[in-house]
Amino acid sequence: MKLTRRNFIAAVVGGIAGIQATPLPWKITDDVAIWTQNWPWVPVPPTGEFTEVSSVCNLCPGGCGIAVKKVDERAVKIEGRTDYPVNPGGICPVGMGGLQLLYDESLRFTGPMKRAGLRGAGEFTEISWGEAFDILAGRISNLRKKGTPEAIAAVDGNPEGTTVSVLIKRLMKAMGSPNYVRPLSITDTYRMGNLLMQGTLAPMAYDLENSDYVLSFGCGLLEGWGAPGRVMNAWGMWHDGNPAKRKTRIVQVESRASNTASKADMWVAPKPGTDGALALGLAHVIIKSGQYDSRFVADHSSGFDDWRSLEGTNHIGFKTLVLEKYSPEQVAKITGVNPKTIVSLAKGFANAKAPVAIYGKGKDSLNGSLYEFMAVQSLNALKGSINRSGGVLLPDPIPLSNLPPLEVDAIASEGLKRPRLDQAGTMRYPFTDSLINNFTDAINRNPKSPVDTLLVFSANPFFTLPDGGGFKNALEKVPFIVSFSPYRDETANMADLILPDCTYLEKIDDIVWPTGLQYPLYGLSKPVVEPLYNTRNTGDVVIELSRAIGESVGSGFPWENFEEALQARAKGLFDAGGGLVSYDPDAPAWQRQKAGNGPKPGYKSFDEMWEGIQSGGMWYRPVSSPKSWQGLFNTPSGKFEFCSKLIAQAIEHYSNKISKKAALKNMGLAAIDDEACMAHYQAPKAGADRSVYPLLMLPYEMINLASGWIPSPPFLYKTIFENQLLKDKSFAAINPKTAAKYHLEEGELVVVKSPAGEVEVRINLFEGAMPGIVYLPLGFGHTAYDEFLKGKGVNPNNIVQAGQDPISGYPVWWNTPVKLVKV
Amino acid sequence: MKKGNDHGKNKYGMVIDIDKCTGCGTCMVACAAENNVSVRADQSDKERTITWMNLYKISNGKEFPHTEVSYFPRPCMHCDHHPPCVSVCVSTATKLDFNTGIVSQIYTRCIGCRYCQAACPYGARYFNWWDVFPQDKGMDRYLTPEVSPRMRGVVEKCTFCHHRRMRAKTLAYAEDRREIEEGEYVTACTEACPAQAITFGDLNNPEHEVSKLIKHPFTFRLLERIGTEPKVYYHSTRDWIRKLGDNFLPGEYTPVVNQTWAEEEWSTKPGRDEF
Repeated sequence: MKLTRRNFIAAVVGGIAGIQATPLPWKITDDVAIWTQNWPWVPVPPTGEFTEVSSVCNLCPGGCGIAVKKVDERAVKIEGRTDYPVNPGGICPVGMGGLQLLYDESLRFTGPMKRAGLRGAGEFTEISWGEAFDILAGRISNLRKKGTPEAIAAVDGNPEGTTVSVLIKRLMKAMGSPNYVRPLSITDTYRMGNLLMQGTLAPMAYDLENSDYVLSFGCGLLEGWGAPGRVMNAWGMWHDGNPAKRKTRIVQVESRASNTASKADMWVAPKPGTDGALALGLAHVIIKSGQYDSRFVADHSSGFDDWRSLEGTNHIGFKTLVLEKYSPEQVAKITGVNPKTIVSLAKGFANAKAPVAIYGKGKDSLNGSLYEFMAVQSLNALKGSINRSGGVLLPDPIPLSNLPPLEVDAIASEGLKRPRLDQAGTMRYPFTDSLINNFTDAINRNPKSPVDTLLVFSANPFFTLPDGGGFKNALEKVPFIVSFSPYRDETANMADLILPDCTYLEKIDDIVWPTGLQYPLYGLSKPVVEPLYNTRNTGDVVIELSRAIGESVGSGFPWENFEEALQARAKGLFDAGGGLVSYDPDAPAWQRQKAGNGPKPGYKSFDEMWEGIQSGGMWYRPVSSPKSWQGLFNTPSGKFEFCSKLIAQAIEHYSNKISKKAALKNMGLAAIDDEACMAHYQAPKAGADRSVYPLLMLPYEMINLASGWIPSPPFLYKTIFENQLLKDKSFAAINPKTAAKYHLEEGELVVVKSPAGEVEVRINLFEGAMPGIVYLPLGFGHTAYDEFLKGKGVNPNNIVQAGQDPISGYPVWWNTPVKLVKV
Repeated sequence: MKKGNDHGKNKYGMVIDIDKCTGCGTCMVACAAENNVSVRADQSDKERTITWMNLYKISNGKEFPHTEVSYFPRPCMHCDHHPPCVSVCVSTATKLDFNTGIVSQIYTRCIGCRYCQAACPYGARYFNWWDVFPQDKGMDRYLTPEVSPRMRGVVEKCTFCHHRRMRAKTLAYAEDRREIEEGEYVTACTEACPAQAITFGDLNNPEHEVSKLIKHPFTFRLLERIGTEPKVYYHSTRDWIRKLGDNFLPGEYTPVVNQTWAEEEWSTKPGRDEF
């Protein structure tokens, strides 16, 4: 056949039509799909028996209940528990991604190690536990023999009151060193404020669920403050049903349109660090309009009205102070908030039935300011929202037993007499029990580090301290560093010896009173899987280490293992009686039960109770009726103190030693006399030439990024927006107006310079940022861990220039002057 | 071919309450953990990062201090009417199941042409540019056998956790039941949401909470007017959020005011916009 045009077309068209009629193309498509998918390395997860283990999440002090799904020995999914009082069903994204922290091998230490490379390089060689104990115990014994046990120091990031922290403190004492410090958190501010105004070192118990007006001064309610599972559950509850009939209003006081600020019913944006002044402005309006709870103020408070002392001197009270200095106009000047807003805010608070003012700074992992706390707590007192449903409750502390008294030997008692490096508890910082910023300075100031051996527990101060990189420099000077971290974090990479802890899913550990919870709760996590590697629970390691050191140190630790020590403390829970070890979701722990109507504990002996705690992971007492006022406040006046007598005494005591002027200056006080004992606003020192550094840098936290010592599970980086992190650059959020002033555009590279250092970031134009402020996200900028976390963005802590908060001495990390320089 | 799935037995859908949503991202992490979703070192390239459930950040665009941000959590919409992805798939790798309303994805049929990805108006589909999971890091130890890991070169997306439906059905059968109750089958994101912002259930069952919620005047869907009938609904009392659910021309959007719903009187007053 001749090839003509017609024939050619007929053949092609016929061919195409013919192929359509055959199954060939479909078969080939299908086969291609299958062939190209038969990669031998595509994992086929082995199946097996499906089980579920209930435990408690220990990644933050929130302590949410978790249910871990397992397939044979593998944990495959973490879910929130519905049978746990803290978080009825939900957990936060960090907890949700927890399995990656367990199984990502390159994040973890697989056994005890000693340093092989340079400090910070992260090169280690594996050693045995025996060798690790020999090295450390030998070094400690040497220091003790030399009579310098105080050269041993510990940084302990375990929350205050947990059994492992009690044991670490005990070990330090037994060895003879006073230098036990902890990274600060908001709970430290709460405890101090509580001591000064209410007379107890108790945690704050905010009855959020029963409140009808939550006025949050800076608490990142949706950024991870408190127990995130609890707060977000409350958030859902507050927004349930008909919006016109909603019971609870939420007001957020914060300078940035965070999630909490945006989602709240009202957002008020004062300048950073002026929250206290705003609270006092509200107090002014409430007092002036006479809308305060005169019964509470008269019966249960002191220092409200002016008074005359026995010696005949006149003193001003809170009322006079507030009326004189904090009118809406005066406060508007300090805070930048419109006077009308201040008045309407005060009215909203005053008219609510069960209002509560809560204080915080983002998540709970950084400290706050003492006077700001006092200002906010004064608001609660004005409205009588103390010891009242929906306000601030004053539950008894958790009745854990004290461990038997410790007998220290001569070396230790000599060592304990030496002054603490951080000066906490001295006349200068009379109410502070630990000041890590001063500890860092003490090392950096001395030509030779006063610390010889530094033990780091559950902390990554290299990364998390807002100190402009101070701790990093201190680490370089310390001769010997021991890390107990399960993770290859920045601080551990500087260590000479690693005694790795198990991760929270591999060990037994306790949680003592999640931050902000309104009822006492003792949580117990348990091993969900057997330890994957050659790691040991730090609780056990501390006990073993004490034995390895021997002498009187070892005899202070009579327990076989950590669990025995846990039980020894839990004895008190049984003796106190009335605690529940199981939870019925139909009777929420925050709901006030009528006397005798609530659920009953079902155990009869300690062993039964302990079994219950182990299987359920909890011991708690549901919210009870308001307590008797008799003896409720343990202050010198026996009442709630607007004007703290303890502060007055401390100032006087110190003034007797040195001049009054010097005492006030050393304590960081600008105010004098009565004002210094009450909530007041004091402008922080600029600390730098503001014409050179015209802007302020404020670090901010996100719930979907871990900024503490726990690494972020890699899953979390899916939730980060591309205007927060792009490749290796994180973003500074600034107001478009500020950007226009410096001719900066979205995505542009800039250097943020402070007197303490500089970081390079991209610009994100954000309308919700306060003009004049540069917001940098916390949690990026790791130089350790693996490729998921390392080298992504910058850590704003490295450029923080922190002043000291008056009286407490805590770092004022929210006031760093910066400038922006185009790259 | 049937036109819709009205005659099917179940029609699963969800309602997401934007006022309750805190933007925390737990739904995203829960989804990734539940469904063996790949994780890569750089996940800031959002076009190549796999997030079956994704958060879209929105803002009211007002100046400081009147700015508000919010989020649209976005799973696959499981469009009920000619899902655009189904229409274009050349290898029948994705289809709308008329008995459940779930738009499925059959990985072994997918030839990786990404036509569906281009067709999806919601950006809910993701292509596997790389092999699954980082190798040699021990992270394959948390993979669940209930969901097969995907291979390089195929498209994947949210399945409404249909393996959880299979699990619920198996349990029901073991108890000699043929039907599953409300709440026995919910997606991982629904279960994980710490603020209980997500409600999941059968839209065909008038008893289910979802079928009540979708009648509410504050309830809306994303890009409703392109007619794909998504089975994921949103709910917000805030006008500016509802307005961002679709591309309205100036004057085209009518705010919801004083509408009644069931026996309860609902109104935007004193809703958030006027507070």
